[in-house]
Amino acid sequence: MTLLAFADDGVKKALAAGAQAAEAFAMTYRTKSVYIEQDVPKVAEERTEAGIGLKVAVGKRVAFTSASLEGQKDVRNATATAMKAVKMVPEDPDFPGFTSFRVMGKVEKTHDSKTAETPVEELVEMALELTAAGKVRKDVTIPKGIFRVQDYELRVANSEGAEGSHRGTLVFLYFTAKSGTKTRAGEGIIKSLGVSLSQQDFQSIGKRLGTRSVENLEASALREKISGTVVIDPLDLGEMLIQTIGSAVNAEDVRRKRSPWQDKKGQKVASEGLNIADMPRLPAGLSSCAVDDEGNPTADRPLVTDGILRDFVYDHYNAALLGGKGGNAFRRAVATIEGAYARPAQCSISNLVIEPGMQSLDEIIGSVQKGVYVEKLAAPEVNQFSGAFALEVRNAAIIEKGELKDRVKYALLVGNMFDGLKNVAATGRELRPSHGFLTATGCCYLPPMAFNGFELVGQK
Amino acid sequence: MRELVKSALKFLEKGGIDFGDIRIEERKSTTIRIANEQLQALSSVVRKGFSVRAFRRGAWGYSSGTSFTLNSVKHAAEAAARIARADSTKGLPHSPLKDIKPMRKNLKPAMKINPANIGLDEKTEMAMTVSKAQRIGPRVASTFAIYGEWDCAFEVANTVGTDVSWREVRTRIGGQAVAAEGERRDFAYDFADGTGGYEIVKAVDPNEMGKTIAGEAIELLTAEKPPSGLMTVITDPDISGLLAHEVIGHASEGDEITKRRSFLTDIVGRKVGSPLVTMFDDGTFPAAHGTIQFDCEGTPGHKTKIIDRGIYAGYMHSLETSGTLKMPQTGNGRAENYSRRVWVRMTNTYFAPGDDKFDEIVEETKDGLLTHKSISGMEDPVGGGFQAVALMGHLVKNGEIGPAVRGMTLTGKALDILKSVDMASREFKLSGGFCGKGEEDYVPVSSGGPYMRSKIIVGGG
Repeated sequence: MTLLAFADDGVKKALAAGAQAAEAFAMTYRTKSVYIEQDVPKVAEERTEAGIGLKVAVGKRVAFTSASLEGQKDVRNATATAMKAVKMVPEDPDFPGFTSFRVMGKVEKTHDSKTAETPVEELVEMALELTAAGKVRKDVTIPKGIFRVQDYELRVANSEGAEGSHRGTLVFLYFTAKSGTKTRAGEGIIKSLGVSLSQQDFQSIGKRLGTRSVENLEASALREKISGTVVIDPLDLGEMLIQTIGSAVNAEDVRRKRSPWQDKKGQKVASEGLNIADMPRLPAGLSSCAVDDEGNPTADRPLVTDGILRDFVYDHYNAALLGGKGGNAFRRAVATIEGAYARPAQCSISNLVIEPGMQSLDEIIGSVQKGVYVEKLAAPEVNQFSGAFALEVRNAAIIEKGELKDRVKYALLVGNMFDGLKNVAATGRELRPSHGFLTATGCCYLPPMAFNGFELVGQK
Repeated sequence: MRELVKSALKFLEKGGIDFGDIRIEERKSTTIRIANEQLQALSSVVRKGFSVRAFRRGAWGYSSGTSFTLNSVKHAAEAAARIARADSTKGLPHSPLKDIKPMRKNLKPAMKINPANIGLDEKTEMAMTVSKAQRIGPRVASTFAIYGEWDCAFEVANTVGTDVSWREVRTRIGGQAVAAEGERRDFAYDFADGTGGYEIVKAVDPNEMGKTIAGEAIELLTAEKPPSGLMTVITDPDISGLLAHEVIGHASEGDEITKRRSFLTDIVGRKVGSPLVTMFDDGTFPAAHGTIQFDCEGTPGHKTKIIDRGIYAGYMHSLETSGTLKMPQTGNGRAENYSRRVWVRMTNTYFAPGDDKFDEIVEETKDGLLTHKSISGMEDPVGGGFQAVALMGHLVKNGEIGPAVRGMTLTGKALDILKSVDMASREFKLSGGFCGKGEEDYVPVSSGGPYMRSKIIVGGG
């Protein structure tokens, strides 16, 4: 029996043990990582893991258990634990049962064999190429770099006959650069994600990384307050949008009255011309898949069209309660697949896509009379309920009459993202992926965007 | 299992390396989530696996797996040794490991009530009560409560002769309410956790916890926008703890020093704060969330003084960084789990209490801000900058606590803040959580301290 076939085995064992319905999710993955420390490869790894997540139902009582997977005894133990638990939990009167789809087919380019088979020794060489490119000046070092490639396969099956499989690869890069002297240092941080090594340009990532550290070193502390147009780089902006839009369109948050958009279907929530969709069928998307993690088929779904809220994303449970269509239940994160089997599927965006505009980043900056370009924030955290944020900028430059001027730091970018979405000044044309915190499901593909109404506040 | 450990060490020793170890883990956890007074999920997790490390001339090779066969362990040990040998040719400095004294110990967890002996129904009822108690009025839009327990068994054996095993048991109860009125919407939370058994949960009054959470969420709906700029701030133990953890703590991790990435490199013996500032990382603190018996390299947990009355005292170490910097071992080599690498990590990090009473600090503050609970913080080991987000706060005017203000961001240069500390309370508290290194590798920690008065830049709201 292959490890993935344990999904079907888990369902059978659960039914034999007295469950009236069961759902199993089995996955295997291999991880290869390289850690750069102070310009050299300090740690390299090869890891394998397999696991199963099992949900059982007796009447309206439901329990979830999971286990790392070596053989049938792990499935038996997981089943026994779940059956013991299910007898002791209160009923969920809203439990709608499991889905019954058989999902065939796959989304293009989610798995890259060449990436999956690249040996760790070659990954070391790629990490060193990026490191060398990052040393743009003599005083620049690369104190820390994480380079990870994962190859995974999963299968979901349940007692209603639903089944589906998916295979993917993930590439994750997180590097820091330091410039300057012992008493005065600048830091650059860069991240890059994808499903294939061929999407990564190690030379250009390295150069940008080293340059960011130099720009941070040479930036001056901002004293005053700057109002005007704020242009934000996709990577950190995506994280802000995942927290706000990702929660606002999540049917679980809508049903629980946590979403600020819960009663706003058909109403304006964003600027005219702004289109936002959830696109699990995006070729080569980080979260792309034909089947979600509870066995429902996925489908692309417009969420905001021309600034008007049209729809939410639903897992099977919330689709049944709110009258939507499922397909957005996920356990997988995009920065690492590790441990996904150990989490029950939850309602989530897949690939949240902000429709690109026509302008390049340079053209957007060129159109700004007065404002700021923010390339990197310390931690792009937004209050998901209110939309408020005040974030320290690490790499930013003042824009005057369409040109980047002084680099600034020690300043707070202050605003409200839900208000910002109604004041979008421009959207760029080049989509880049961004992700939330490490184990967060879903991701965002977006271009650079410009907003009115935010402020950059200095130290006075 | 004994045979597998012996075999792994034998394969490592044959691999032409300087040092090797194997770590075996079995992690069991149970989580109960209650949303809007209804069971949202009951999850039980068992993850069992091993990690093999090989060290040669400054390079580490790791391999791990979940299959406990002789063949899998052999493959992992050989892979780890192969990778370490290959990387040791890439120009690494040949850092030595600290002299490792072989240790053989088997320790039991310190707990009064084993959570395994408490029924799921009782645990569910506890969380349900926290959720129900949040329904104190129509402005409470959503309630949430969570119960969690973790029981992790470890064994570490190495090529020097160490063979230690121990268990870490942790429990947690908490909740979060969302309040809404018109277009205004905000949230509040509370939790209790620690290293120990169900006694940690039993010590909580779930009704009181739920009511407090909901009351704070409602208070935030009418809270004012906080003032901004450089001002006198009385940080509560949560925010004091974030200052200790995020800026000084992360920058005091030995690997940031060997990489020379930390703004605290070469700073031992120099003044970094006012004489009221003393700071520890303490893996032995009784029942705190970051307490450990051993770290993931088999070194016993340790209490490390980092700042002594304003003077910087020392760093935290793994086996490697203590060897490289020729400093004592501190038991801070920690990994998230068997499939993650070991880094230098904090345990329980805090500022020591002062002599002032909290009431006295407020009375002696003419114009300032009192913070209440944290939402997040971010490390900046290179620049030494502080960024923390507080859940809410209160204005302090002429010695009295005034109206509530919304959540805010606190920022500034950490050493400027520490040098401006002029009062610290006797009241002291630690709060638990999980800490990442950069963006990943989360380990259980706690941070805290007294109420501290200092000058901090405030913005947002």
